[in-house]
Amino acid sequence: MTAEIPDVKKTWPHSINTVTIGATATEGGTRTSTITVGGETTLPFYHFEGTMPNKPVLAMEVWDVPAEDWPEPVKKPFADVMSDPGTWAKRCVEEHGAELICLRLKGCDPNGADRTPQEAAEAAKKVLDAVGVPLIIWGCGNVDKDNEVFPVVGDAVSGENCLLGTISEDNYKTLTALGTAYKHKLIAASPVDINLAKQVNILAMDVGFPPENILIYPSTGALGYGIEYVYTIMERLRIAGLKGDKVVAMPMLCDIGIEAWGVKEAKAPESEVPGWGDVNERGPMWEAATAYVYLLAGADILIMRHPDAVRITKNTIARLMGGGA
Amino acid sequence: MDTVRVTFHPKDTSVDVGRGATVLEAAASAGVTIASICGGDGICGKCRVIIQSGKVDTDPTTLLTREEIQQGYALACTTRLVADTEVIVPPESQAEGAQILIDEDARRFRAFFPTAEKPTFFRHDPVVQKLYLELPPPTLEDNLACQERLFREIRRRIASPVMQMGLKVLRSLPAVNREAEWRVTTTVGRRGGTTEVIQVEPGDRTERSYGVAIDVGTSTVVAHLVDLSTSGMIDAEACYNSQAVFGAEVTRRIIQAEREGTKALRDAVVGDINNLISALVTRHPVELHDIVTLVAAGNTTMLHFLLGLDPSHIRKSPYIPTTTVPPPVRASEVGIKINPRGLLYVMPSIGSWVGGDVTAGILATGLYKSNQLTMLIDIGTNAEIVLGNRDWIMSCAASAGPAFEGSGVKCGMRASRGAIERVTVDSDGRVDVRTIGDALPEGICGSGLIDAIAGLYQVGILDRSGSLLPDSSPRVRESEGQLEFVLVAEGENGATRDIVIAQPDIENLLRAKAAIYSGAKVLLDVMHHSFDDVEQLLVAGGFGNYLDRAKAMTLGMIPDIPLERIRFVGNTALIGAKMAMLSTDAFQASLTIAHGATYYDLITYPHYYEEFMSAKFIPHTHMDLFPTAATFGTAHGEGGS
Repeated sequence: MTAEIPDVKKTWPHSINTVTIGATATEGGTRTSTITVGGETTLPFYHFEGTMPNKPVLAMEVWDVPAEDWPEPVKKPFADVMSDPGTWAKRCVEEHGAELICLRLKGCDPNGADRTPQEAAEAAKKVLDAVGVPLIIWGCGNVDKDNEVFPVVGDAVSGENCLLGTISEDNYKTLTALGTAYKHKLIAASPVDINLAKQVNILAMDVGFPPENILIYPSTGALGYGIEYVYTIMERLRIAGLKGDKVVAMPMLCDIGIEAWGVKEAKAPESEVPGWGDVNERGPMWEAATAYVYLLAGADILIMRHPDAVRITKNTIARLMGGGA
Repeated sequence: MDTVRVTFHPKDTSVDVGRGATVLEAAASAGVTIASICGGDGICGKCRVIIQSGKVDTDPTTLLTREEIQQGYALACTTRLVADTEVIVPPESQAEGAQILIDEDARRFRAFFPTAEKPTFFRHDPVVQKLYLELPPPTLEDNLACQERLFREIRRRIASPVMQMGLKVLRSLPAVNREAEWRVTTTVGRRGGTTEVIQVEPGDRTERSYGVAIDVGTSTVVAHLVDLSTSGMIDAEACYNSQAVFGAEVTRRIIQAEREGTKALRDAVVGDINNLISALVTRHPVELHDIVTLVAAGNTTMLHFLLGLDPSHIRKSPYIPTTTVPPPVRASEVGIKINPRGLLYVMPSIGSWVGGDVTAGILATGLYKSNQLTMLIDIGTNAEIVLGNRDWIMSCAASAGPAFEGSGVKCGMRASRGAIERVTVDSDGRVDVRTIGDALPEGICGSGLIDAIAGLYQVGILDRSGSLLPDSSPRVRESEGQLEFVLVAEGENGATRDIVIAQPDIENLLRAKAAIYSGAKVLLDVMHHSFDDVEQLLVAGGFGNYLDRAKAMTLGMIPDIPLERIRFVGNTALIGAKMAMLSTDAFQASLTIAHGATYYDLITYPHYYEEFMSAKFIPHTHMDLFPTAATFGTAHGEGGS
């Protein structure tokens, strides 16, 4: 006698928004390819239950200034190109298969090089000239400075349908205005809190920015550093979106590299932590393992650094999507 | 069996009873309540009735005058029915007849009390009262001792099975009695089941009998002077609680008490109370000596400070107070300057974090008798939320901070004369304000703050997160590194300074409203109810004289339920304290309420913090919880309630 297995498949009433980044010549930009994420009708990789029309994608991180403080294992593959964001981006795309480039305007930080908005715009142009993939532009994190930089940069890359970030409760006004004016998408940031995630989205929507042009960045924690907390927040955001809460029915983005490479487990050389193994293997593995967790949590875009971690994660995505090796 | 029919007027209720039954017994079986203190012993003389027609057999009594007997008066307890009889129960003998007259506040809000079919009325029987007694002088036949003679007369007037008298009063008694030719005024106070003779004065002093009801709030202390003989309110006075120097929040003050002892905190609040009383008596021909009682309502910690009790265990798990039902004590024992033998009553608390102010609120609103599911939100520095009806009562407390009371707000003030209590902001950003007493604007109180912030949001000067938007209005400016909105500029409406709402004020108010809403929501969740089930939502507190319900809803401070279910009921802590002061029955009811209510600790709810965070937004991050709030436009500010 065989037991009847109940059908536990669930259908959700709504789906996640689809967001396209980048614009080709016919769309008014200069990209050779665009990226579309989102559109899920179910939880991540629940292919038996719904569809996931767009696979998660990997962006590789490039700075407008040499990333001096990156740990040695992740600096090494780019040491010779870090002086030029264009060349750096080119290597990411051509040699390591980056599907997007995330240009982080670290050099604009007033506590660092304090570069001008014009210099930031030049860096963005260099990346656009060097590669054909779409561009994410991430501010330095200083709200006042970002409010100065983005209007210039956003104008310089006008029409390219970039993804700009991040907006928060403190600076959504400037970025939503220029996102509308120059036709860019926005990343809405919140500190691991479902309500704050909703709030910033509502604020942007209140000033007329369409929710279909927003990605959620719910903050990212490295493996071993609160990752389970972020996981549950992302999972709940996704479930709320699938249930029909329009305010959170957006694709999500995770900033993996910066977090993974900030922790001792990824960057401490073996001489400091005997028995932990070669940091050149351990670091990329830590980044890849971190990325894996976020894929399962529902990430649509992962921003990463190390070529090995990118390779492993691309392979993971291919397998999770039902193909690959 | 040989029966007779008795009809009682004015109720027109008839009953058949056995011949020979007393009128009082007949009344009991007819469901007619006749005042009787002695219980049918023919002593008290309270059960006077008029025999209109019929035939009765009555014992001789000294408690009725010859004229009264000729008019048909008889004592119900000693009058037996011989034939069918018509009996009139005069008003003074109707047990529910003598109702306590509450002050203007209570009259204003009476219509809102939820027991609509029968408002909460109590017999006028103050916990401490003066009785004028004409004692029969002792004779060889009636040779009862001085004290017992007094007790006998008191028992004829009020129910007091157990009586006591202090040695000091006893020592003075023989002389006072004789000097006054046995015409004395005795002040009696209820202490549990015992009646204490507090003092005996010569002559009739009953008209000089006063009490003070006090709302001892964390931020504000309010005192009402009441005439105990007429129940009329004479005057009110309020001040900020000077314990504030030890911290704005209750917990900070407990920590201070742990470090330095409770004395400084007690001195502070007792000093405030003495100042308020002294301000009240200087304005009226009232002597401190004639203030014979004080009833205090406050949160449990404040009452600990007032009585000088150790509050430290209130903040430590498992959060046990020293007492929730403090006994009546001599007010002078805690340093309060009224009649040195006057009694201080403290309204009983429900738990460590839901105090006697809430018990008083439940008493005042009649929630405990209501057939309808009622929610009472008492807004103070802590917001207490009560949910229940005649069958059950649940309560919880959420820390709201002092913003509603105008404290910790840049241009905040108490809800007193000159406080801006109503604000309308039109779509051009023009501001119209109204002050309490139509006086020159001096600052803004809680209700004004609610109006203003809701108004600024509605016209787009404020976003949903409560941030003032620069350039949204010429009245938005930067000062000391932060944005502020100029509500009234110096010179406008006669203001002598700029009255502004600063960005942190808005954040304080939004935190407070989030604490209130999320606390209410969690309490409902715990009881498997929703806001839709709440048939009456009563908002209490001393933050203003009115509450614009639509504006409060726009902010997400109160839930989106039909406006007609929402009532602003004023300072119910004070109203309840006054009711308890004026009626021993009401005070007894407060003990039953405190005993029967359950305290729920919000912190034990797993998602409380998240509920709080989502409620900090205007109105809420779950916008679908507020479908109608979104429809309130600028012009929809409603009138006072």
